[in-house]
Amino acid sequence: MKNFLNSFAGFLPLGILWLSPLAAGLVAVLYGALDEAAWLALFGHPQLWPGLALSMGTGTLSLIISALLAFWIVAGLYGGKLWPGTSGLMGGFLSLPHLAFAIGLGFLITPSGLLARVIGSVAAWAAPPQWVTTQDPYGFSLVTVLVLKEVPFLIWLISAHLARPEVAQMLNGHFRVSQSLGHGGASVWLRVFIPQILPRLKWPLLIVWFYGASVVDVALAIGPTQPPPLAVIIWSDLNNADPAVNARGTAGALFLTAALGCLVLLFMFLKRATLPSIWRFFTRGPSRRRTPRITSGALLLFFCAVYALVFAILCVMSIGTLWPYPDLFPSELRFSAWAQFLMSPAPLLNSLSLAVVSTLAALALAVFWLETVPEKLDAVLLACGIAALALPSLLIADGQYLAFLRLGLNGTWLGVFLAHLTPVFAYVFIVLKGPYRAFDPRYRAVALGLNADNYRFWSVVKLAMMKPALAAAAAVGIGVSIAQYVPTQLIASGRLTTLPIEAVTLASGGSRPLMAVFALMLAVIPAFAFIIASRLGRKPL
Amino acid sequence: MKFTRRDLVRGAGAAALLPLFPRAGIAGDWAAVEAEARGQTVYFNAWAGSEAINAYIDWAAEILKARHGVTLEHVKIADAAEVVRRVRDEVKAGKAEGSADLVWINGENFRAMKAEKLLYGPFATDLPNFRYVDTEGKPTTLVDFAEPTDGLESPWGMAQLTFFGDGAKISTPPQSMDELVAFAKAHPGRVTYPAPPDFHGTTFVKQALIESIVDQGLLPLPAKDGEFLRAAAPLFDLLDRLHPHLWRAGKQFPQSQAQLKQMLADGELLMALTFNPNEPANLIAAGALPDTTVAWQHRAGTIGNTHFVAIPVNSKATAGARVVASFLLSPEAQGRKADLKTWGDPTVLAITKLSAEEAKFFGTSIVPGVVTEPAPALAEPHGSWVPLLEKAWLESYGT
Repeated sequence: MKNFLNSFAGFLPLGILWLSPLAAGLVAVLYGALDEAAWLALFGHPQLWPGLALSMGTGTLSLIISALLAFWIVAGLYGGKLWPGTSGLMGGFLSLPHLAFAIGLGFLITPSGLLARVIGSVAAWAAPPQWVTTQDPYGFSLVTVLVLKEVPFLIWLISAHLARPEVAQMLNGHFRVSQSLGHGGASVWLRVFIPQILPRLKWPLLIVWFYGASVVDVALAIGPTQPPPLAVIIWSDLNNADPAVNARGTAGALFLTAALGCLVLLFMFLKRATLPSIWRFFTRGPSRRRTPRITSGALLLFFCAVYALVFAILCVMSIGTLWPYPDLFPSELRFSAWAQFLMSPAPLLNSLSLAVVSTLAALALAVFWLETVPEKLDAVLLACGIAALALPSLLIADGQYLAFLRLGLNGTWLGVFLAHLTPVFAYVFIVLKGPYRAFDPRYRAVALGLNADNYRFWSVVKLAMMKPALAAAAAVGIGVSIAQYVPTQLIASGRLTTLPIEAVTLASGGSRPLMAVFALMLAVIPAFAFIIASRLGRKPL
Repeated sequence: MKFTRRDLVRGAGAAALLPLFPRAGIAGDWAAVEAEARGQTVYFNAWAGSEAINAYIDWAAEILKARHGVTLEHVKIADAAEVVRRVRDEVKAGKAEGSADLVWINGENFRAMKAEKLLYGPFATDLPNFRYVDTEGKPTTLVDFAEPTDGLESPWGMAQLTFFGDGAKISTPPQSMDELVAFAKAHPGRVTYPAPPDFHGTTFVKQALIESIVDQGLLPLPAKDGEFLRAAAPLFDLLDRLHPHLWRAGKQFPQSQAQLKQMLADGELLMALTFNPNEPANLIAAGALPDTTVAWQHRAGTIGNTHFVAIPVNSKATAGARVVASFLLSPEAQGRKADLKTWGDPTVLAITKLSAEEAKFFGTSIVPGVVTEPAPALAEPHGSWVPLLEKAWLESYGT
């Protein structure tokens, strides 16, 4: 009975702050989709099928390329001199949000962008070339941004997995065995390591897949326009003045989700059908092929160069008030955009307050759950968390908008906070769960033996030992909250403006310096959080 | 002459409406409104795509705070449709205290809000500064896209479709749709327009409709689904001739006018379009475009209209919102708005109605980039054409 009460107490705050807004959103979106006219309108939309193909195509292509590149880099660098620095570097890359990256990369590759100016200055072009780069009809620039952003995420996850002592030990053993059987490094990765690591990554890979297929802000900044990806079609429907069009957007969000579900089923079917031949391929061998150290190093260097270039472009762009084609460098440098940004600090303050409070709330909820609820229930919460992250944010945010409407929460800070908490808590819980549950219970016995009570043990000993994990979870939470565009735009209803909202508005064509300032601020805050977290993580107890 | 006739009809209609809003006793009532407004916060939902506009609203906010004790908060939105949706949802949810107090609006959005009774008022003609409005010379201050305003929105500024580009690169600007086709043919890939339903893109298509439709008499009437395709056939012939020569062969289109402007500034395009005839001059003044930039309108006229401010029915600061609306109509605010150095949005006032002192707020300098040969402002087609045009455009060119 006490156990049950404990579990219930652990469930209560989470149920109110996290689970019910999530559930209410899903119920509301299903209810909102009970509209036959909306479905008829959706299927009559001339851009539905090409838009769907674009969404599915860009999402799937970016997933496949990202996974290939991530494993290529990891396989080549794991255990080498560059490896220890790689993971930290990837954490840093991660903190640059997709949107900020898309804005910077856009100015690099657009026909009047830096790349064209460099070539044009050599080739003496009078006018910008008619390249089809940004907003190309097949979404290749969108895929490029997604790949450049997801590869660091995947490497970071893989390195976190490989850093666990038991995993490292096991891989070492397997490596020696495989080597004795005549396998080269590449062969060991392909036939032994990847088949072990891949299943561990299935949820992050699913999140990356669905994210790529349903992203709105990046697609608005750099994606194709006629037709746009389905997510963008849904987005403009949801923001339309006509309620019938809004309902079509709701139906569209559900349709996109269902289509993604079908895609996963198709994938599982294909996997099952081809498993014997895959298995034969993996067990064939051995091959003496060595790990691709040079190409992996070159790829890593390429990533560093692109990120450095994007960051440098954003910095120069933010102070280059006059930078016409074909100038390689702005003819006038002023800090007026920064001054303007600081003069109206509302987006910054709103973003900061939402990020800090939602992260603290998520940490408190996660710790409370982990302390009061038995471990066997973690799986249930984990499933909800993965659902909150994998389901398109369009779907959840539209549902929450419809649900919050009845509660009068739209346009309020509290409403936006709850909408942010949905993904923030999910990430924080996933990051925190492993280290927290792995805490050795014998420490508690020692502390109690030393006459410390439960609370003193928890506040003095356990929290201190958990500090690196808590700091890492907090950094992730802040990064996630800062980057939220879709839920903020819908739930804030124009009442609250945040960094990504301003950045998207400016990215559709506004002042370039100001757009660069917002993109940089989007990157600086999470980067700052990651730096603090890694400092805290390194400090000896 | 056909447009003059319609304007006359509208002017007469508008004049007939005026007596509906008695103006007696305004002074006393207005003092009460001002007293009630003091201390109120007005959430002004206004499109925020331009720094000049944001800075102007900031300026207005400072004065309103100092003189009237009204706090004006600029809620920056990308599209007024968001506000229509929000107010409708709030009203449907029974929320008496809405999130918007004043909204920058016209056309379709006004028609929707008026039809669904989402607007407070009538209030516009009771505003003290409404007496300066040029209702005779600018009939669109009373009739918004063929929809009578009925005092539910207060005019704020004027707009007319205008094209601009670098005079150093364009010797003879195309001054009709047919000339534009020839111009695009001569400069492949260097001309385009934003994809509808972007407001500027839709306006471009409407301009093309006006220039191509055979029976001009159909335009002020509600469009019928069946007749539409026949009436619009010459329009799609025209676009079919134009598109192969556009940027990216007319397969992709920019998303917004702001993007078009940026592409012009970068030299990717030879010309861009705007709904504010003074914007090119403004951009030159801001250093965003070279001072060789020229602006022009189509010889036979381009679409023009008025933009307004309206008060949602569930506003919780209607007095404050009215004080703001009246201030925005003052010669001081209108003069500053028309000034090319600040925003350059043409005034809705009749300069002849102003005293010499008041008229001083309006400068009269000729600067580079202004439209040198102004063309007549053509009336918008009836609002019901818009959804049909947008749908047909999407079906033909959106996939």
